[in-house]
Amino acid sequence: MRHGKWWATAGAVVVTVVAGATWISTSRAQTRDATGAPIPGAAAPRPAIRPGVAAFVAPPRPRVDWQGAVGGLRQSGGLGENLGGNLNRQQVDITAVPILLPTDAKLAGNARIYSFGDYYTITADTAGGGVSFSGTTTTVPMPATKPLKIDSGPEQLTVQRTVDGQLASFVRYGVLYTVEIRCDAPSDPRCVDDNYVLGLVGKTTAVVMGKAARQAAGLGG
Amino acid sequence: MRASPLLLVAALALAPLAACDDTTKTPATGGETPKPPSPEPGPPTPDDSPADGGAEQPSSEPVPPSPDPAPQPAEPPAPSPANFDHAPAGAIPAGQGPGYLDRTVWSPKMCWPMQEAGFPNSQVYGPGGGMGPPGKPSQCDTLNYTLPWRDTFCEARSRANPLCAGSGNGHQGQDIRPATCKKNEHWAVAAEAGAITDIGTYTVTLVAKAPPHYTYRYLHMQMSTLAVKEGDNVAVGQKLGKVSNDFGGTPTTIHLHFELRAGVSGVTSDGKAVALHTFLPPYLSLAEAYQRKLDGKACGS
Repeated sequence: MRHGKWWATAGAVVVTVVAGATWISTSRAQTRDATGAPIPGAAAPRPAIRPGVAAFVAPPRPRVDWQGAVGGLRQSGGLGENLGGNLNRQQVDITAVPILLPTDAKLAGNARIYSFGDYYTITADTAGGGVSFSGTTTTVPMPATKPLKIDSGPEQLTVQRTVDGQLASFVRYGVLYTVEIRCDAPSDPRCVDDNYVLGLVGKTTAVVMGKAARQAAGLGG
Repeated sequence: MRASPLLLVAALALAPLAACDDTTKTPATGGETPKPPSPEPGPPTPDDSPADGGAEQPSSEPVPPSPDPAPQPAEPPAPSPANFDHAPAGAIPAGQGPGYLDRTVWSPKMCWPMQEAGFPNSQVYGPGGGMGPPGKPSQCDTLNYTLPWRDTFCEARSRANPLCAGSGNGHQGQDIRPATCKKNEHWAVAAEAGAITDIGTYTVTLVAKAPPHYTYRYLHMQMSTLAVKEGDNVAVGQKLGKVSNDFGGTPTTIHLHFELRAGVSGVTSDGKAVALHTFLPPYLSLAEAYQRKLDGKACGS
C-alpha cells in the first residue's frame, strides 16, 4: 500500500502533535496516538448485548486525551478559533470532543457544523464536490473473529475509496476523526486516488474547543 | 427459498401501508444556515441503459473477478423475526463476490428506508446488469421485482470495504430497487431521526441523532424533488427524496444504493488494533425493518 505517502502525511501530522504535546510537557499523549494503543473500544471489543444485535460502546468521554488536545489547542495559537469563526457557535459549544479543522481558510470559511455532543461533522463545499470532517468518541466493536482487511498507518490512519470519493480516518487525542471528499464526477482525480484526501489529513491540525470541550478539558467554560 | 406468489402479492398489497411516518413535514433547521439543494445535473438518458452496468463505478474500471464466497459458518443463525422470502445474509452466488457472513443486526431500530416495498438484489448480476443473465437485457425484467431479497454487501467491486474477505474490496452497501421500475416516483425516507449533513449531486447523507450516530447514505436520488436540504433535522420515516438512476450525470440502474456507516473498532488482518469510519452490512437491519413495516409496527419499535 501507499506507506510512503502515509508516512509523509503522518510526518507533518506528528510534528504538529508532538509540538502540541510538548507544550504541556508530556510525551504520553503522543506515544499513545502514534502507537495506536487504547482508543475507544479498539483493544477489547465487547460482547454483543444478545447474539445478532449490535452492542454499542458508550461514549468514553474520559478516554479523550484532553491533555494532548489542550496541547494541540495551544500549538494552534488561535488559528483554530480564527478558522472556525464562521461555524455556528452554539453547535461548537455543545461539542464535547476536540474539533479539528483544516488549516485552509477557503475550506473553513464556508464550513457548517452539525453536532450531537459526542459526535460532530463539518461540511464544506469545494468545486465539483464536498468535503467533511467528523469526530466521535463512539465506536461499535467488530467481531473479533472477523479481522478488517485494511492497512493502517501512524495514528491508525486508514484510507478507503468510496463510490464517490475517498474516506480517511485516524485517531488523535483518543478521538476517531474522519476526513472525506465526495466528488460530483466519478472521474475527478481527487477521488480516484488518495493524494488529495491524505493532503487534507495532513493539514487537519487546527484544534477548536467549545464550552463543553473546555469544561471537560479543565479549562473552564 | 423460492418466492410464493401469494406472499409476493401480499407483500405488494401491504407495501403502501407505510408503517413509517411518511408525511412530508416542515423540516426543522439545524444549527447552520440551510444550503439549497445542489442543482439537478440533468436527467440521465436513456432510462434503461445503465452506463455502468449497475456497478456504480466507471466502465473504465471493470468489476474485478471474484473468488467463490467463503462458506457459511457452521452454527445456525440466530432466529430472525423477518419471515418474508429473503436469502440469507452474506449469501452471494459463486463468482459474484466474497459476501460478508455477519448476522449482526447493526441498526435494530431503523426504519425501512422506502415509503413502499422494495426489492434488494444485485444491479450487476440481475437482468439488465452489466453481468446479467443472457437473454434478459432489461432492468425492468420481472425477475428483478420478485422476491426473494438478496444481500449485495461485499458483492464484487473495486471499491474498498475492509469487511470483505480476500482483497478487502467489495460493494459498500445494499442496492434496493423501488416498488416499480420507474424512476423519480418512489420515496426514500429517513432510516433514523437525525440531521442531513451533506447533499451532493445525487446523494443525501443523514447522520443519526442517537449513538452510535450511524451515517446513512442514499445514492441515486432525484435532486430536483428533494424534500430536505442540508442542515435539516429529520424525523424517522420522513420523506427525503425520490429514487432515481443518477450516477454523477450518467445513468445507473433505477435503485437506491443504501449505505450504513459507523465508527468501528476492531483488529486488522495483521493483528493491529484499529478504529475507523467504515461500512457495515445493512441487510439484516433492512430485513427486520421491512418485517416491522409489514407487521404494521411503527419505525423504531
